[in-house]
Amino acid sequence: MPLFRTRALVLRVHYLSDTDKLVTFYTERYGKIKAVAKGARRIKSKFGASLEPLTLISLIYFGKEHQSLYRVNQCDIVEFHQTVRDSLATCFYALYFIDLLDSLTAEGQTDPNLFMFVTSTLESLTPEQNPELLCRIYELRILALLGYKPRLEQCVKCGQFPRSHWVGFSYNSQGIYCAPCLDGNPVETRINLGTLQYLKKLLTLDLNRWSRLKIPKGSEEELEQFTHRLILARLGRELKSYPLLKQIIHNY
Amino acid sequence: MKRPSVLTDLIQELKRLPGIGQKTAERLSFFIMRGEKLRAEKLSAAITNVKEKIVLCSQCHGITERNPCDICSDERRDRSLICVVEEPHDVYVLENVGEFKGVYHVLMGVISPLDGIGPGELTLDGLKARVEAGGVKEIIIATNPDLEGDATAIYIAKLLKANGVKLSRIARGVPVGGDIEYADTVTLQKALEGRTDMG
Ligand SMILES: [Zn+2]
Ligand SMILES: [Zn+2]
Repeated sequence: MPLFRTRALVLRVHYLSDTDKLVTFYTERYGKIKAVAKGARRIKSKFGASLEPLTLISLIYFGKEHQSLYRVNQCDIVEFHQTVRDSLATCFYALYFIDLLDSLTAEGQTDPNLFMFVTSTLESLTPEQNPELLCRIYELRILALLGYKPRLEQCVKCGQFPRSHWVGFSYNSQGIYCAPCLDGNPVETRINLGTLQYLKKLLTLDLNRWSRLKIPKGSEEELEQFTHRLILARLGRELKSYPLLKQIIHNY
Repeated sequence: MKRPSVLTDLIQELKRLPGIGQKTAERLSFFIMRGEKLRAEKLSAAITNVKEKIVLCSQCHGITERNPCDICSDERRDRSLICVVEEPHDVYVLENVGEFKGVYHVLMGVISPLDGIGPGELTLDGLKARVEAGGVKEIIIATNPDLEGDATAIYIAKLLKANGVKLSRIARGVPVGGDIEYADTVTLQKALEGRTDMG
């Protein structure tokens, strides 16, 4: 039976029985996979702390390819993200990131760039810097990497660059409409041109430099509503981790 | 020949139990059917009693037949010391050790964002009220040493910080009978943090 070796991020852990865990991983080389970790619930399990959500591990698993359940053979912790776990806010952000990744991806679709992006986002998540902006970058970029990048350059109808102070946006067609083209089109929201510029910037910004970007409060709120609706339109439902994240950051 | 529907009903109900599949449910059903009538009656009464007679203790949220529970109403227990656990059965696990002389508080779950369980779903208001009522000196947080248990412990620490009560967490690290050589870095780190003074 073939052995697979790859770096992997632990997304979710379910108890399969009194002794076993079913773990969902996002792997660098094979995309999302599910694998059974035999004996992982035992207190003296060889897997130790490696199968906790948010942990980046070096994973060896086996099983037949295209078979839905694999078996975990060995895992070693590469990064546990202790500082992310130590603060409730960053922990909730990180779990939302993972929830989003899990919900937007299907098993077996390989995407090393997405893996790189998610792991570097978790690296950048620190309590000292406002993670809200990083959250916006993450939401926009994960959609873009999966091929759902909103069209923000030209009007989707006439192809012109918008000239007014605001544009319309349709979550359905995932693109902007310039003011003259609004008539008769199902535009659900308006975006200020300033906010539109920030959106474009967030889509291309170097992940090492995000914390230097300053966004005015008004635009920040507009961006949040925008990305959230973009995700709702894609998923068709609210993620469980999202309202809890909002609750935690508002209470602290 | 078709199987009698009463038997099928029993098989269906048993199959709902965790860890019981079709084969096991069939085996158990035939066992019950062929066994003494008295045994079946006892089993059925025991199941009914569990649902009818067990209530949650209004103080600690543990499961009990009378409210407040035996632990909360025991005068010899130290009420200044509260051990916070996730589930009612954790109380029994800790009581079996027999070392703990304080009282308990059952959270009825653990903060788990991926499952949509937030602080509001737990009995944290009750815990805060117990602390605010006075007389509590120390809270021992005995949630599981996993991501959800850790998040819950951090939340409780923040919630009760202003009350001036001492907070501690049960030690995590290398299990008894385990081998340091095979422990992962995170487990060893926790073991070092949780080291105890040997005088
Ligand atoms: Zn147009
Ligand atoms: Zn009680």
